[in-house]
Amino acid sequence: MNSPLQPTGLWVTHRRDMALVALLIVAFATIPLWADGGLRFLAGMALVQIVFALSFNVIFGLAGLVSFGHAAYFAAGAYTAGLLLQKGVPIPLPLILVIGALVGGALALFVAALALRRSSGNYFAILTLALAELLHIVISKSTVLGREDGLTGLKPPRLDLGITTVDLSQGHALYFLLLVVTLVAGFCAWLLWRGPLGRRLAATRLEPDRAAFLGINVHRARMQAFALSGVGAGLAGAMYAPLAQILTPEVAHWSFSALPILFCLLGGAASFWGPVAGVVVFLGVEHATRTVVGLSEIMIGVTLLTVVLVFPGGLAGGVQRLVHSLSASRRASTALTQGKAQA
Amino acid sequence: MTGALTAKGIYKSYGEIPVLKNVDIDISPGTTHAVIGPNGAGKTTLFKVLSGEVFADAGSVDFFGRDVSQMQGYERVRLGIGRTFQVARVFGEMSVLENLVIALESRACFARESWARHFGVSPSPATQAEALRILETVELGRRAGNIAAVLAYGERKRLELALALALRPRMLLLDEPMAGMSPGDRLTAVALLKKIAKAQDMAILLTEHDMSVVFALADQVTVLNYGEVIASGTPEQVRSSAVVREIYLGHEHA
Repeated sequence: MNSPLQPTGLWVTHRRDMALVALLIVAFATIPLWADGGLRFLAGMALVQIVFALSFNVIFGLAGLVSFGHAAYFAAGAYTAGLLLQKGVPIPLPLILVIGALVGGALALFVAALALRRSSGNYFAILTLALAELLHIVISKSTVLGREDGLTGLKPPRLDLGITTVDLSQGHALYFLLLVVTLVAGFCAWLLWRGPLGRRLAATRLEPDRAAFLGINVHRARMQAFALSGVGAGLAGAMYAPLAQILTPEVAHWSFSALPILFCLLGGAASFWGPVAGVVVFLGVEHATRTVVGLSEIMIGVTLLTVVLVFPGGLAGGVQRLVHSLSASRRASTALTQGKAQA
Repeated sequence: MTGALTAKGIYKSYGEIPVLKNVDIDISPGTTHAVIGPNGAGKTTLFKVLSGEVFADAGSVDFFGRDVSQMQGYERVRLGIGRTFQVARVFGEMSVLENLVIALESRACFARESWARHFGVSPSPATQAEALRILETVELGRRAGNIAAVLAYGERKRLELALALALRPRMLLLDEPMAGMSPGDRLTAVALLKKIAKAQDMAILLTEHDMSVVFALADQVTVLNYGEVIASGTPEQVRSSAVVREIYLGHEHA
């Protein structure tokens, strides 16, 4: 057996993580080289949804809280960025993204402070939904936010890099900026997921009473997780605004809150990579079936049903089990041949 | 001299039914104190009140002279009151080592021990070494790499004890630490608890059904019946008490 002092399991996980990151970077960075504008736009949207889904899974898969209103924090970040872009406020886009992320986090902290007081179960989930619907109504009735028509013509300003300025509205510049932002955000989520705070959050999910009697303030840990998740969702929203160039109250609608839940269930909420896999597969299916109206919904429905019934751990869980059983059968067969040799 | 844990006039009812009626208990530092009594006597409720899982309706709980009555469970843990559960609760999906790592990282967090333990991704080598050392004290060293869910019952109980010990408590509350163990495991566990309590100069409060365990371990015994203390003293005093014999030991030690 491996020495427990060298947690080979953990190091293997990290190596695998690095390999997956490298693969994703290559895949996303080469898209502008061969894909048309439509596919590049879709890839940009995938980056936005990856950040959204990863941030959602911090509370869903890690802390074990169900929120039905995550679109609220996305919308908060999106409309913050949208207003700043529309008014032409002279701040660089990366800073706009940070501001959007912080607004999303602040709203999430406020909602968590309200909703986590009483429960972390069903009532909590319903309260998050109710508060998100409230925001949806406020947005669609606010003149400054464009009511039902939303905000339009959101062009990113030129980015001053010191030696040169980049026009983010031309070519692939915005796409590559979003790719870098996604990598940074993904790295932060990864640190959280695999680090000490992540372990404590997993502890509060698995055995909240035991966690409390290890000196963990369960309520505070959940608040932290929810606020950090809101930061990620706000960032995703702020990334969405300059990419879509138009914002409508749809981004605060409950059906938008359903997206990260879908991604996490499809990909597997128990794994860090689950939401990423969910986004890629979901958008891939949607893109492949875009020519036939209604087919994508059917395909997504069938895929989700298959995944839930066949792989309870989502796609990531399915792959993990596949790898596990393959290596187990390999071990079994080596053991068998060794046994024969000895006999 | 102040006791380690002193509870005075504890009253607790669930709805209309009083479970604890004016219970006093005083555990001296460094001693092992057993609470015994028939099922439904209020032992577990007393445990919950002392550990902060529930609050008493009346009465006070002091820990080394500090009133902790209004403190939540996690706050009391941070002051040094460790506890285990009647049915061992561990993080089943994680390895035995990871279970310990969580406890150690939690301690590092609330005791503001080492900033290095808050950052980084893998647990630091120091954390892992300490986790392994604690696992050795409860004789689980060779199980460190296993998933906690596959542990045998007695091992799981010992892992829970290790989790509590990792927080460096000044006092341990053990709710039926030997329940469900085989007689052989019990003897090992008794010897282990004695060793740990002596080595770390910890006060221990435990509930137990097995009288041989109680008399082998405890310096002091408190007998509860229908939520009231009916006897308290050394094991010999309690054993010779007529009241206790009648209602509790009668059928076992007649």
